[in-house]
Amino acid sequence: MRGHGFLLANYVPGTSLLHRSPLALKFLLVLACGLASFIIVDWRLSAAVLAVLCGLFLLTGAGVKRLWGAVRPLVPVLLVVGLFQGWQLGAPTGARIVLNILVCIVAASLLTATTPVQQLLDGVVQLARPFERFGADPERFALTIGIMLRSIPYIAGTFADVRDSARARGLDRNPRALVLPVFITSVAYARQTGEALAARGLGEAED
Amino acid sequence: MSNTETTATKSQRTERRRWNGTDLGLIAVFAALVAGAALVPGLALNGFGVPITFQTLAVMLTGLVLGPARGLAAVGLYTLLGLAGLPIFSQGRSGLGILAGPSAGYIIAFPIAAGVVGWLAVIVIKRTTKARALWFFLAATATSVVVVHTLGILGIALNSKATLEQAFLSDLVFYPGDIIKNVLAAAIAVALHRAFPDVLVRRVRRQAATTGKA
Repeated sequence: MRGHGFLLANYVPGTSLLHRSPLALKFLLVLACGLASFIIVDWRLSAAVLAVLCGLFLLTGAGVKRLWGAVRPLVPVLLVVGLFQGWQLGAPTGARIVLNILVCIVAASLLTATTPVQQLLDGVVQLARPFERFGADPERFALTIGIMLRSIPYIAGTFADVRDSARARGLDRNPRALVLPVFITSVAYARQTGEALAARGLGEAED
Repeated sequence: MSNTETTATKSQRTERRRWNGTDLGLIAVFAALVAGAALVPGLALNGFGVPITFQTLAVMLTGLVLGPARGLAAVGLYTLLGLAGLPIFSQGRSGLGILAGPSAGYIIAFPIAAGVVGWLAVIVIKRTTKARALWFFLAATATSVVVVHTLGILGIALNSKATLEQAFLSDLVFYPGDIIKNVLAAAIAVALHRAFPDVLVRRVRRQAATTGKA
């Protein structure tokens, strides 16, 4: 967890049509799939949409393995949901529910597989712009996101260190000894970060 | 008349919203803490496969330590970035696809829960000095029952088209773990407020003093 490797987890570099299409368009695609899952009532239509999305996914060059990787964590859940609803409401309805969830998952992974993380984050900051008139500050928002991303590996490292030292004291079964120092270190780290920002004149609201 | 009223509330709001660098640091670091807690592997115990993680512990603690506005901002930032595609939800999941799955209700409930428990924490700090851990625990438990479980059940029912009764039963698995996590969150929150009184305790006292004068 040390380092920023996890930030690259989903992105696959490439030059396909989807890689080149603007973020807003891909976002609308995900949104449309989310809405469709409430509107589509025929499992065959869901299956067709899913097939199209899987085709698009493979066209980006991300490969079958990544497609399976996106779906895999949900397989046991979908199996339970599908069997249960198939038994309660009939096989077509069960299949439709499962397929609709899959449509949303594949659409969302299409977005993350073809968009670099930095572009996604820029998109999030862009979303804050319309709220500027209500006092939102996109610059400070972006700064906070940056600090958060920098903190994740630091905190994961702290957790590993604290676990080691708790084990050395024979306290590795005491949850308070395992968790409290992580939070103390993290709050101290947050305040140091705040002081560092203040020293550079960053992060202050403009008057 | 109504004009002056709106301008007064507006200026008050901007004053409250003006966070300094330390506030931004706290918001960012607590958002990262929630993300870190989600990366610790969870147990998928209930039938619909919503995993049990340390996340709810981190969410409650964020509210108890930072108070309503900053707690909401921290957990909201976490949720927003997870939905935007960072793999920071439990089991390394991410993206808007989550909103179609059975965890959706819980994810949406997290920022709201942090805000509500933060609001309750401010009341606890204002009113009590002794047995704060107990009150924090009660605040966290009330919030998890009213906000997290209610929205979680609705999410399961809506997305997997189960009946409310079935969703309610599958949600019950979370209660024992929740009690333990809320005890921990309350104990840690008290310890953190003792170590860093400037994070929330002094802020609340200052606020109480100024409103008392006015």
